Amino acid sequence: MARNRIKPQGGFELTAWYFMRISGLMLVFLAVGHLFIMHIANNVENINYAFVAGRWANPRTGWIWRLWDMSMIALAMFHGFNGLRQILDEHVHGAKARVAMHTTLWAVMTTLLVLGTYAIWMFQVDKAYVEQFKAMNSGAGSHASVK
Amino acid sequence: MSTILPEPHAYRPGKLARLKEGLRYQGGIGQWSWLLHRVTGVGILIFLIIHVLDTFFVVFNPALYDHTVAIYGGVFGGQYFWPLRWAFRLAELGLMATVLYHAINGVRVILFDFWSEGCKYQKESFVAVLIVFLALMVPAAVVVILPLASSPDHMVKVPANTPNP
Ligand code: HEM
Ligand code: HEM
Repeated sequence: MARNRIKPQGGFELTAWYFMRISGLMLVFLAVGHLFIMHIANNVENINYAFVAGRWANPRTGWIWRLWDMSMIALAMFHGFNGLRQILDEHVHGAKARVAMHTTLWAVMTTLLVLGTYAIWMFQVDKAYVEQFKAMNSGAGSHASVK
Repeated sequence: MSTILPEPHAYRPGKLARLKEGLRYQGGIGQWSWLLHRVTGVGILIFLIIHVLDTFFVVFNPALYDHTVAIYGGVFGGQYFWPLRWAFRLAELGLMATVLYHAINGVRVILFDFWSEGCKYQKESFVAVLIVFLALMVPAAVVVILPLASSPDHMVKVPANTPNP
């Protein structure tokens, strides 16, 4: 069986091992719930700027979705990039190549995390745009109708 | 079958030779479920990277965001292409399957880690993973594919410019 399936003895790798399991369990709720909301509870063809605004900028429930997305992006990024690092650690052996690989992974992950966090918390509705979009797409019963 | 072996003494040189050796190695269900877990994990990560980048459009250019997600419904450059809509629907199903498999098999891996006896039931537990997977995936596939039966009666139109950037 895979070597990384064996529980590490201690140090960073043991922390990472526990993190992979705890974040995995939380992502079952967050990521599978996200997919359920987007694909089963909604039709994906209804997703647009106004839809996102209705979630993130909702005066009552907006903070729930922002918190949901924030937890999901943080856990999924660390979980996914740590998983990728474990895979690459098995294949990249040279000392220099390993440093370059780890640096690249951390830089890419941090950049994405900053972009995602910025989007979640800095989002403000562009009301003029939403009005214009609704006016252009107000066909009754259309799959793209905006509520 | 799924005992933990010591490190192999020697690998054959060359990635290709090792790949062939790996595929010939009869690891049983443990090996294949693990390989699939790895492939799905990396697949979700690649999707997530693109997903965070396109979601970022909402904070700097709403029109660009709407143009991008309109492609999902088959609208590209102001024109409707039905194969595009179908392709995205099928890819959506693929993504759901990928996440579901990784999640359910991940729970199985975690159960084995904290309940060591569990490894004796490698085969049985994998069958359980497949049953749960199908029980969720089949109804989901119906919900996702059904809207394709009716063509969209309305095409998304996106304002040319952000009036208030
Ligand atoms: C949905 C809930 C999820 C669960 C229950 C879960 C569970 C797990 C577990 C238990 C591992 C094994 C860790 C180890 O061997 O030390 C793992 C590995 C991994 N996961 Fe997840 N995960 C989930 C979601 C995700 C997501 C959203 C991503 C992508 C962003 C992802 C990417 C990966 C990667 C790349 C690996 C490494 C695979 C390997 O080493 O072979 N997982 N996951
Ligand atoms: C095709 C399937 C998917 C669709 C249509 C979709 C849709 C969306 C939408 C509309 C948002 C905007 C925010 C909101 O309304 O909450 C969003 C955000 C987000 N989604 Fe998804 N999602 C999909 C799959 C996934 C998967 C599989 C993951 C997990 C690995 C994921 C992780 C996230 C994260 C982390 C955010 C926050 C992004 C940010 O901060 O910039 N999504 N998604």
